[in-house]
Amino acid sequence: MKRIVLTLAVALAGSTAAAQYQPDIEAWTIDAPPEPQTVIVRNATLWTADDAGILDNADLVIEDGRIAAVGSDLRAPRGALEIDGTGLHVTPGIIDAHSHAAIIGGVNEATDISTAQVRIEDVIDADSINIYRQLAGGVTTINLLHGSANAIGGQMAVIKLRWGASPRELIFDAAPAGIKFALGENPKQSNWSNDEPRYPGTRSGVAQIIEEKFQLAEDHQRAIEAMPSGRRARDVVPPRPDLELDAIGKILDGSLRIHSHAYRADEMVMLIEVAERFGITIGTFQHVLEGYKLARRMAEHGVGGSTFIDWWNFKAEASDAIPYNPALMAEAGVLTGLHSDNPELARRMNLEAAKAVRYGGVEPHEALKMITTGPAEQLGVGDRTGRLAEGLDADFVIWNGHPLSVYSRVEQTWVDGRRYFDRETDLARREALDTERRELMAMVLDEGGGDEGAGDDEATGGGLLGYRDSELAHDAYCFAHDHRHLHAGIDFRKGNRQ
Amino acid sequence: MKTLTILLLAAVVTTAAAQDDALTVLTGATVHPVDGEPIDNGVVIIRGERIEAIGPSGELTGTFDGERVTVIELDGKHVYPGFVHPLSSVGLTEIGSVAGTVDTTEMGAINAALRTEVAFNPDSALLPVSVAGGILTTHTAPSGGLIRGQSAVMRMDGWSWEDMTLEAPAGMHIAFPPGAADNADNEDLATIERTLEQARHWHRAQAAFEAGNAPRPRHNAQLEALGPVLDGTIPLFLHADNRAAIDAALDWAEQQDFGRVVLVGGPDLQYVADRLAADGIPVVLNGVYTMPTRRWEAYDMAYVAAAKLNEAGVKFAIGDGGGGFGATNARNLPFQAGSAAAFGLPKDAALKSVTQWAAEIVGVGDQLGTLTAGKRASLIVTNGDPLEPMTSIERVWIDGREYDLDRSRHRQLYERYRDRIAETAPGADD
Repeated sequence: MKRIVLTLAVALAGSTAAAQYQPDIEAWTIDAPPEPQTVIVRNATLWTADDAGILDNADLVIEDGRIAAVGSDLRAPRGALEIDGTGLHVTPGIIDAHSHAAIIGGVNEATDISTAQVRIEDVIDADSINIYRQLAGGVTTINLLHGSANAIGGQMAVIKLRWGASPRELIFDAAPAGIKFALGENPKQSNWSNDEPRYPGTRSGVAQIIEEKFQLAEDHQRAIEAMPSGRRARDVVPPRPDLELDAIGKILDGSLRIHSHAYRADEMVMLIEVAERFGITIGTFQHVLEGYKLARRMAEHGVGGSTFIDWWNFKAEASDAIPYNPALMAEAGVLTGLHSDNPELARRMNLEAAKAVRYGGVEPHEALKMITTGPAEQLGVGDRTGRLAEGLDADFVIWNGHPLSVYSRVEQTWVDGRRYFDRETDLARREALDTERRELMAMVLDEGGGDEGAGDDEATGGGLLGYRDSELAHDAYCFAHDHRHLHAGIDFRKGNRQ
Repeated sequence: MKTLTILLLAAVVTTAAAQDDALTVLTGATVHPVDGEPIDNGVVIIRGERIEAIGPSGELTGTFDGERVTVIELDGKHVYPGFVHPLSSVGLTEIGSVAGTVDTTEMGAINAALRTEVAFNPDSALLPVSVAGGILTTHTAPSGGLIRGQSAVMRMDGWSWEDMTLEAPAGMHIAFPPGAADNADNEDLATIERTLEQARHWHRAQAAFEAGNAPRPRHNAQLEALGPVLDGTIPLFLHADNRAAIDAALDWAEQQDFGRVVLVGGPDLQYVADRLAADGIPVVLNGVYTMPTRRWEAYDMAYVAAAKLNEAGVKFAIGDGGGGFGATNARNLPFQAGSAAAFGLPKDAALKSVTQWAAEIVGVGDQLGTLTAGKRASLIVTNGDPLEPMTSIERVWIDGREYDLDRSRHRQLYERYRDRIAETAPGADD
């Protein structure tokens, strides 16, 4: 009984928050792009990221937001929107399994070693300019994760980049629930001074905490199950409600998948061993810098590897990171993906995939899978997105050349059969905006109110201008946080403090 | 040339130790001199540390009888000059989070007397990793304070900083205080100006002493170090990020009458391109891979900056913003140039911006940046366009010696664990 009341209270709190959400922001002035009933892209090079491989001179048919057909000489009904794909390449939309690019605060609930109960879906920033910029780089789905301050960080939210939609509409409903874990230097707080040190301060301590929380959650669950039903329940004191242990209980029953920040091999072997003891399978290791050292063990356990391709040495636990990591993990049979963890980098994930060709000789089509099919499967949405295949959501990107070439550009990005980014439209719109701006300036100057050259905050500031904090949100704990070197070693513009 | 090749092959003697005048001949590759058209089936002749000649196979005639010659056949490959990093902290930093390994940032506001090269760690793990990415030369600069100190152009291979230093000081670095853009009374700028004024006085006093007309001025390392930038012997690298700061910095530099100025700035440099071109001021563009300066700007604002500079006729090098994080991934510099080419920069300009123009801007254009007779034989051999991330860099020569790419920690770990993964294939040892 208690449990039901509690659940209701939480649900009510959630809906109140949604009702009170009043976006005062420009994304809502943009109408969602129309959804044409049928679209056909003709005569393009299709990178299916599926068994069909790369299809030359092929067609792609979209119907009602889904991929209806992939092949040659396809027909489309009269009135279909036709796109001449001659000389163009089409890939599935890019999927970024590690992002903080659209979170209003709360990237880290950095108060406790375990905060399993907090949820990203409550703090999605639907107006983050990163959403549009990443669409312009061909990204269609991102996984918004908590940071790495805590061993158990909080529950993630997978969203589709439906620019202009409300936070709730962004949520990718097909995605299974997941929770962020973190191992190593960050949860043990190695790289910043802390006036009130927090347990744990070692990797052993991180392991101990996780085991303890699992055990407590299991006991909690057992106590709930042991509650008698019906009339007899009145004579028994029920277990104290515990949102944190409830969430961890879901990890143990398999309904909340672990996505764990991890760098070193030892700590990853630890989490695998603990998980196996509790009978669960880890979803992914995030960053997984030394994944290549335990790749066979990862494959055996069935955990995916979601990695940076070439970040290394920014902290001690990153000194053995190598760009060959994705190639080696894939070679060992690990489900491998590349992620950004950075709103700037997220705009060119195709070039991260290209590096997998350079480092370890991954075939280009296989490299493309590391930013499409791989992360889609890691997030449990592989049957909905990540491939150009019949029946999947129409999430795709049109490139003006080879999708892994540095010289190529995104021309269009489609999500659910709607064109959310179109370079041509973007160029036309900025011209219109420039004209409008000039007209407004002229009006102001005519009225004698002109303060020539003024008008923004540039004179006083360095760095980036006009951004909201949430758009530069990052996992402050991932990067080294030594304050003296923070300013020496990091260019904030690049959002490097991940 | 076939006949020459055969003749050379007959004369080949490979020796373990390269000699000062050892001859190496690269044949069969497409040779990209950068300042000229690519040469199909080209030849590069290296004598000692220098390039002796380049040209099409068949036009170069051999005079190598009796000499020790190593012929390297590179059929189907491409040869380019090594990349020159126009501004980094490679050599001064190792692990960003471990203070003991970082020497980028001195304390205090006035650090004119700092010399970069003396803290350049020849055994930094970052060096072989950068070399594997084709970065064979770095212009490394300190980054602490207002007057940050003297930078140095360093070869990426050597036994000590003494033999790795190509040019030092390469320039004096001053960070234009962003707050001075709209405030004539900015204290930081006043500090810089006061120091420069003192330095001018000091050098006048020193000249008077040298002429026998005055007593020796009291030793002052900071003021003494500012002499070369005040008299134009070395360039001033003036750092200013966004438009307002860049405009103000340019006005200020004019006022101060520096002999030579290189502006280091963000993508906002595109907005002052005409002025930079008119004044003949070269720039280091800090990054193509940066967020647009303003939230409301076009998504490709930073991608197009290089193209705009190029159209206006500004001489520029593409950098990566430097910093410790940039240092670990200095190897990604050429990709930034490539991405600028996706957004309007001609490909040949993109290549020059990380080779020839970078070398010229940091003062080693006579030694590096192109494949030209007389220059240092620092070059890379690739299987394709080196601005493409997909391309592999297969061999490297630095100052005439082939560099062992397996010195990269990344390659060592790769080879070790590749073998391990192969050995532990399911069923392999059952």
